Order: sequence, then C-alpha cells, then structure tokens
Amino acid sequence: MESCKERLIRFLFPAQSGNWLTILRIGLGLQVLLYALSLKRDWIYLFAGTGEGLNGRALSEGLLSTESPVVPRLGWLVTLGSHVGLSEWTVLSVTWWFLLCAACGLLAGFFSRSSAIIAWFLHLCAAKSGGLVSYGVDNFMTIGLFYLMLSPLPDRYSLDQKLRKLKTKDRQLLGFFRRVLQIHLCLIYFFSGLTKSLGSGWWDGLNMWRALARPPFNVLDPAFVIRWHYLLPFIGISIFAIEITYPVFIWPSQTRGIWLALIVSMHLAIGAFMGMYLFAMIMIILNLAAFGTTLNWPVNRIGIHHSVSPNDNSSSHSILSRLGVNC
Amino acid sequence: MRPKPLLLACFLLHFLIIVIISCRQTLWLVGHGLTMLPPAFKDYSERAETVVSDALAQNLPPSSPIRRALLTYLHIAGIERPYGYFAPNVPVSYKLVFELHYSDGRVEYEVPGGNTAAADLRLAALLDEIGRTRVDALREYLVKLLARSTWREHPDVEAMRAILGSRNLPSIDEFERGTRESYEFLYAYDFSLEKESSRLESP
Repeated sequence: MESCKERLIRFLFPAQSGNWLTILRIGLGLQVLLYALSLKRDWIYLFAGTGEGLNGRALSEGLLSTESPVVPRLGWLVTLGSHVGLSEWTVLSVTWWFLLCAACGLLAGFFSRSSAIIAWFLHLCAAKSGGLVSYGVDNFMTIGLFYLMLSPLPDRYSLDQKLRKLKTKDRQLLGFFRRVLQIHLCLIYFFSGLTKSLGSGWWDGLNMWRALARPPFNVLDPAFVIRWHYLLPFIGISIFAIEITYPVFIWPSQTRGIWLALIVSMHLAIGAFMGMYLFAMIMIILNLAAFGTTLNWPVNRIGIHHSVSPNDNSSSHSILSRLGVNC
Repeated sequence: MRPKPLLLACFLLHFLIIVIISCRQTLWLVGHGLTMLPPAFKDYSERAETVVSDALAQNLPPSSPIRRALLTYLHIAGIERPYGYFAPNVPVSYKLVFELHYSDGRVEYEVPGGNTAAADLRLAALLDEIGRTRVDALREYLVKLLARSTWREHPDVEAMRAILGSRNLPSIDEFERGTRESYEFLYAYDFSLEKESSRLESP
C-alpha cells in the first residue's frame, strides 16, 4: 500500500500536457498587454518620481526599502538610465514599450521564458514603485507571472516550439506547476469567502449595495440596484458560499464545471458591474488555466487534444481517484 | 526534472506562508472586533495573531536577514497580501476636493483623477490610503502629492485648499426614502505658492 508521502508526490507531480500553460501564457500576455495599454496615458503620471508625475514613487520605494532593499523597482531602472544620460521620462517610456513587447512575446510564445521574466520583472517594478496606487489586480498579475516564469516553457502551441523547435519534455513538472496554481486558487477563494462570511453585511445584502454604490465602482445606477434590492442578500451569501466551497467542489469532475462557471460568472459580473475589467480578467485567466482544460469540452471529445500523454490518465486519474477526486 | 524533494519542500514552504498570511488577517479582523463573531473570540484571536506574526518573522528587527529574505520572497511572488477583499465588510470610501483660488478672485473645484478609468481605480486606492492612515504626516504628504500635480495643471492658481471627507452611503431603506450620498468633513489643508501646507481643521 502506498504511503501518504508517495500518494502526495504522485498527486503533485502528475504527467500532464501543456494546454493549461498555453492558456496561462496567452492569457497573461493579453492581460499584460491590456494593463500596459490601459495605463499608457497615465504611465508617466503614476510612476514618475519628479516633475510631471504624481511623485509618489519616492515614498513607495522608501517604504519598500524598509521591508527589503532587493525587491525590483522602477527607481533602479531610472538610476541605471541616468548613468547613461537617459532622462526619467525616457526610461519610463522605454520600460512601457518593453512591457508591451514582453506581452506580445507571451501572446505569440516567442522567446516565451525571456518574455515571461521580463513581463514579471517590469510589472513588479511598476507595482512596487506604484505601491500607493496599486490594488488587487497587481497582486494577482504578479502571482500569475511568477508561476508562468517558473513553469516549463515553452508550451506546445508557442512559436518557440513551432519555429525554434524547442521542446518541453518534462510532463511531470508541467503537472506540478499546474497543481501549484490550482492549490493557490483554492486558498485564495477559501480565505476570501471565509473573511467575507464573518461580516454581517454579506448576509443582509448591505455589502453588495455598498460595493455597487461605492465610487469608483458605481458603474450601475443606484436606482437600478435598488430595484433589485431583494436579491442582494441572496447574491452576497452566494458569493461567499461559492468562494468557501471552491476548494471542495472544484476538484470532483461532476461539480468542477458548475463551480468554474459560477466563479467565472462572478468575475464577469465584477468586471461588468464594478468596472474592474483587469481584475476580472486576471482571475478568469488563472481559473481557466488551473481548471479549464480538465473540463469535458466538446472539442476534447472530438479529439482535438489527441497528443495528451497516456500518463495523463494513468497517473493523475488513478492517484486522484484514490484521493476521492476526479481530475 | 529538478529533484522532487526540493520542489516538494519549496511547495510546502510557499503554501505554508500563504496560509499563515491569510490566517493572520482573519485573526486580526476577529481580534479587532471587526467581524460578527462574539467578543469571546477576541482575546483568543489576538493571542493567536501574535503567534502567527512570529511565524512570519514580523517581530524580528527590520534589519534581520531572515525577515528581509522572507519579505523579499513575499513581494516577488505576489503573496505579501491576504485575500480578504471587501471583507469582512466593504470599507468607507473617501473624497478629496481641491478648491482652487485664482488671483482674480475666481474659485474652482476639482477632484483629482487620471486620464483613464484604469488610473481612476488606482487613484481611488490612494484616496483610501489617505483616508485610512492615522499618521498625520503621511496624510499631509499624500495630499500634497495630489495637490502638486493638480497645481501643475493649473499654474495660474494662487492658493489651494484640499478638503478630505468620507462618503456616507445611505442604507437601502434610506435610499428608497430619498436620502442620497453625503460627506463627512475630515481634514482640510491650505497650500499657497509662498509657504508649505498647513492643516486648517480636523475633527
């Protein structure tokens, strides 16, 4: 009989195809692209440390230095640029263009690993130097890019494999990083739901009302929200119930599709009704990469994923079935 | 493939940190009486939070290499923050209005904002920080940042007053009875070309 450790290792290292990594790479490429484009007109304003901008960078980076002096930041690039005679404006503009190029590299899967590292580094620099003006989307982008950078790139739909003939041989490592993403999402939703459930406002609908009426999230007319106010307690309870139970119902194949649809719908609603498009998008991307490819999509049934390793079924299915999970 | 034991150790450490950070936030919320749990949980949560903070090296001196290494990892992996967004309740939001005084006696009002909705979302995070902080010097510094950038857009302004207030959203019942959003005055700062800012009033 297998020991717990062996079962754990087999659970954590299933041999898998790289479809999930393709979704993560293309999704994060799109996310970084939209992130950069959405901030194009405000990039200098938000991140400049002198003259034209908000000038909050010095404070953000100063606070960051009290925690750690080696976390990447835009100040490093600006200092480096000044040594070769580049102005802050030029360095920030070049940084923006590099971020855009890294996003395109990820989308195409061209120099995937380098693109992922550059995107992670530059986004992290911006997120940390703009700490005063950062919110949840930056954390989740860092998480996604961090995992992508470490994952066994290139995936099989990338240009790196098509043109440069680079191959990923280690399917167990692919499976491992997918498990990491899956488990991280389970923890995110569990704790998010748990803390929400401790607030009375999520039970009586008050928090739903506040979230929808609170600037700058008040995309919907409050009068419209009030017209449906009897639904607010139900929606509030549903949100934290879906989140808390995510780690339970996302694993069995019978409920995975439903929970994935519920959580994606929730994020679509956040994007549409609260204006948090980038936040909604990153969460949907992470969810689809983690659990989307294990659904029984019609395309799977007609054999599009013909090159999935036989090990996909033999190892991960047998292990998970022993753990009471179908994946 | 990299050795499995090494990856397994990294995996366990990574998720242990995530769980500890998330537990600490939950315990902090309970310990500060911000949840609907009975007060009996408060003392226990406060004690437990101290233990959990120790595990995160939070009680080590800021220069401690262990603390710095841990914080560096948290930042680069994006796991330094817990996941209690809008939890346990949706927080109060704040509004900052600049009163622009021109030399000809004209007065205009302006709300700080970016050029895009994406930037406005980020500035809202800054306003929340301004409203929430209990450190007067930090609040003044942050208001000054926004005041300076507003001033650059209106170079002919002679003096400026920044007024910070919290937004009071009516309850659903109140809204149905016709009550609308109101503001509660919190702080005001005066800025002029000649001298540094001075806080005028505070509650």
